[in-house]
Amino acid sequence: MKLLTHKWVSVVLLWLFVIAVWQIAAGIYGPDIIPGPVATWNGAVELLEDGSLLSYIGISFYRVFVGWVLGSLIAIPLGLIIGRVAIVRVFAEPFLNFIRFIPPIAFITLFLVWFGIGEQSKIALIMYATLFIVMMNTLTGVLAVEEDKVRAARSLGASEWQILIYVVIPATVPYMFTGIRLAMGTSYMAIIGAEMIAANEGLGYLIWNSRLFFRTDWIFVGLICLGLIGFFTDRLVGLLGKKLLYRYGVVSSEPIRR
Amino acid sequence: MSLPAHVIEQQTITIAGLNKSYSTKQKGELHYIIQDVDLSIKGGEFFVLLGPSGCGKSTLLNMIAGFVAKTSGQLQVGGAEVRKPGQDRAVVFQQADASLFPWLNVRENVEFGLKMQKFAKARRKEISDHFIELVGLKGHETKLPRELSGGMKQRVQLARVLANDSHILLMDEPFGALDAMTRRSMQKELSQIWRQTKKTVIFVTHDIQEALILGQRIGIMTRGPSSNITHIYEVPFAYPRDPSSAPFLALEKQIQGHFEHEYSI
Repeated sequence: MKLLTHKWVSVVLLWLFVIAVWQIAAGIYGPDIIPGPVATWNGAVELLEDGSLLSYIGISFYRVFVGWVLGSLIAIPLGLIIGRVAIVRVFAEPFLNFIRFIPPIAFITLFLVWFGIGEQSKIALIMYATLFIVMMNTLTGVLAVEEDKVRAARSLGASEWQILIYVVIPATVPYMFTGIRLAMGTSYMAIIGAEMIAANEGLGYLIWNSRLFFRTDWIFVGLICLGLIGFFTDRLVGLLGKKLLYRYGVVSSEPIRR
Repeated sequence: MSLPAHVIEQQTITIAGLNKSYSTKQKGELHYIIQDVDLSIKGGEFFVLLGPSGCGKSTLLNMIAGFVAKTSGQLQVGGAEVRKPGQDRAVVFQQADASLFPWLNVRENVEFGLKMQKFAKARRKEISDHFIELVGLKGHETKLPRELSGGMKQRVQLARVLANDSHILLMDEPFGALDAMTRRSMQKELSQIWRQTKKTVIFVTHDIQEALILGQRIGIMTRGPSSNITHIYEVPFAYPRDPSSAPFLALEKQIQGHFEHEYSI
């Protein structure tokens, strides 16, 4: 029994169990309804051989990455300003609390009209998905900076500008980082929706388009790829944060629950 | 060991008829947190503000620091009215975790004020080396605050304000969260450092023994609201003080009696 509590043993056993259940379900319902592990594997090989799978993964990842980086770069200064300047906050907060309930997917048609059917509309959508989460988290972080730290800095001779640079921003880093990690998750959700409706490539396109050929195995391949990229990028961002931002109190690379 | 006259004057704190009040929204009544405080502290003095929790000691300290604006009255440091925080008055906060910068190591925390004033790096190191050694943190320079014990964190706070060369130290129950043994040794060291550096110290506490170990004078604050300083005890004992000596115990008992008398009303 002691062997079971070992992390790697239990993880491997869990996945073997999942695959077994999957195989049994596939046997009961047939390959058209639930393609089994083997059928899915064959579908994946097929997609890998014609090169489409890797390029779809690449294009989806590229869209998420660019939109996510740009969105974060805009969101952080905005969050800092809203958090730091009371008069801006009074006007911005009600608006933020209104707009953050509108999911990115709801904007797809409008973004297509505004930014065209090319890459811009998809990247704009990811930026939107990233912007509000990172902004809200940064804002929360700024408001959570302990008054004693600001007071200490002030009586040590720091100017308001120095307080922002040397106290508020470093104290807010863990909040920004949490926002950025959460935004990665919502970005994947948004891009799949966008690619289903308006794209000729990408994982969302693969999943949606497979219905035309009734290739449920390809759909499974798309789903599994999504899960894997999401898992690995989140872990990577978590590890980078732990390595680079340890000083600022970013200590865990474990997945964030929400 | 005495300070030059002009330095004493620079650090003199004069408080007269000082009030801090707020009015309630519904009735417009004035509520006083502290009312009609008169106090004069001379440069180089170690003054203790002693009183029960919630008596406005911290409010008074924060007003001297310039964090909290007064409602009315006079509050002067070195002859100038206090309007905002200034480098002449440094604050050692009760909660080290809330006031230290956790992303900076010990040395960087100590050098914070110097960096803000754009001291050259070599000069900063020279100064921080000196004060890190003075507070007994030599060898811990590169540790982050979260790697230190509570007592060590308060030492960092102390070194941070000493390095900044403020003449007046405002200390808000800095040893309140420490265990009894650490507290005793911190009191001893603070007393020593004060005698070496000749700073003006205002030290807030609710611990009578601590007040007697440290202070030259002890101002008793009444319980809030509308608290003020009702009585000032002179502590005539030489440093370092022995808390088990008969005169020490007698004065401790007398101050204890003072509070008991007040609360029995």
